[in-house]
Amino acid sequence: MARETLILRTFVALADTLVDDYDVIDFLQGLAENCVALLDVTAAGIMLADAKGSLRHAACSSEQMRLVELLELQLEQGPCFEAFRTAKPVVSTSRDDAQARWPQFAPRVFEAGFASVSAVPMRLRSNVVGALNLFSSGVTALEDPDLELAQAMADVATIGILQEQAIRSSQAYSSQLEAALDSRVVIEQAKGMLAEKLGVDVDEAFALLRRYARDHNRLLSVVARQIIAGELQPGALHGDRTHQPQQNRR
Amino acid sequence: MSSGRVDAERVARVTVSLRGWERDPQRSLCAQSAAILDVAGVGVALLSGGQPMGSVCASDTVTGKVEEVQYTLGEGPAVDACHEREPVLAPDLAEVTGRWPGFCNGALAAGIRAASGFPLLVGAICIGSLNLYQTAPGPLREEQHADALAVAHVVGRMVLGWQSLAPAGEVAWQLEQVPSHRASVHQATGMIAAQTRATIDDALSLLRAYAFAESRSISDVAGDVVGRRLRFGEGGPLIDLA
Repeated sequence: MARETLILRTFVALADTLVDDYDVIDFLQGLAENCVALLDVTAAGIMLADAKGSLRHAACSSEQMRLVELLELQLEQGPCFEAFRTAKPVVSTSRDDAQARWPQFAPRVFEAGFASVSAVPMRLRSNVVGALNLFSSGVTALEDPDLELAQAMADVATIGILQEQAIRSSQAYSSQLEAALDSRVVIEQAKGMLAEKLGVDVDEAFALLRRYARDHNRLLSVVARQIIAGELQPGALHGDRTHQPQQNRR
Repeated sequence: MSSGRVDAERVARVTVSLRGWERDPQRSLCAQSAAILDVAGVGVALLSGGQPMGSVCASDTVTGKVEEVQYTLGEGPAVDACHEREPVLAPDLAEVTGRWPGFCNGALAAGIRAASGFPLLVGAICIGSLNLYQTAPGPLREEQHADALAVAHVVGRMVLGWQSLAPAGEVAWQLEQVPSHRASVHQATGMIAAQTRATIDDALSLLRAYAFAESRSISDVAGDVVGRRLRFGEGGPLIDLA
């Protein structure tokens, strides 16, 4: 496939994450593989920050890369960490440079057969969600326009990841909405049931319901549910009324 | 399948053309959607646990009536779209067989010939439905269908955006019409449950069945129950006190 076509396809796939349900790990796996196909790199890996802000391995193009990334996580040093921390692309220009920057990590990378290492942050404005590691067996450091393309892919992938996170919290909001609607329903139902059983109008029924909930330090919707379920007799609400110093209000 | 795919470019366009909803959602959300989609009417209904909870808005009074029919009967494209998580299309309500007999009659009587429901999906959850109504029979144009998917996508996220800012345990003010408009229905349900010793769910079914049999809206009948002009007997027969 021509490089331009592949670039285009990669971006279409990335843009698709904005509108579709998708599996993040599948999607990142594809991104890592596309990086190897599109850029002058031997292997690519992605690390994402967890809820506590610690980096975790997410996807990579080869098993060898996975081992190197796990090592990077253990040592807590390397290009991915630096890109994540600084929110800027990290390019190591030579073996000596890498050795000086990451004294413990660099020798292990060379042992694994890589000669040059780079990373770009995955960020949207001030939000850094992770980093994309790009390792090569050749000694040439990653440079523009490849570096630019890598950053562009990381940026679009970040939007997809953030949207996915937003959708996940949306599920919490939809449960909240459902709960809020349901409690409104159950309160109205309880008002009706009380009005019928006590022979009062619905406003008076609501006043009784609210007073009982307040006196017993319970949520209105909880008391309403008890009434609907028959766990609380309407008479109990009526009885409480006499204990209230009603005349003293105002 | 072409029916389920949301087009990113359309979503962007719809988002831009529907800015300003925030300030007056009830009036503008459905009316502007109807203009974008080039249909006679648009309603947005919320569902909870597969049951219609009421409409956030309706673009006009006829649409309001047809939305009311869906709510009264608990059947129609909105309920099915949410259940199936796919758009449900009825290009000619006069030709629909075996599905929503009550809804079809009610909609046709109001002058609506075609109806469709597009689920408001957020992740795995359906929170409601975008309902399109047309006065002439015929399928939606490809453009309309694609735009409806995009509008449903945007509306679903917008509804949850509102709810995310609501105080804990409360319904967002933009959605307030949904529960408050239905208050008398739920009160009547509670009263009927007490009158008949039925469960709450059965009481609601009784109310629905009565409204359907009398060709009246559920809110109308509920008003009579709450106003004590109508009561339900324990054995089932209805006693009209009016």
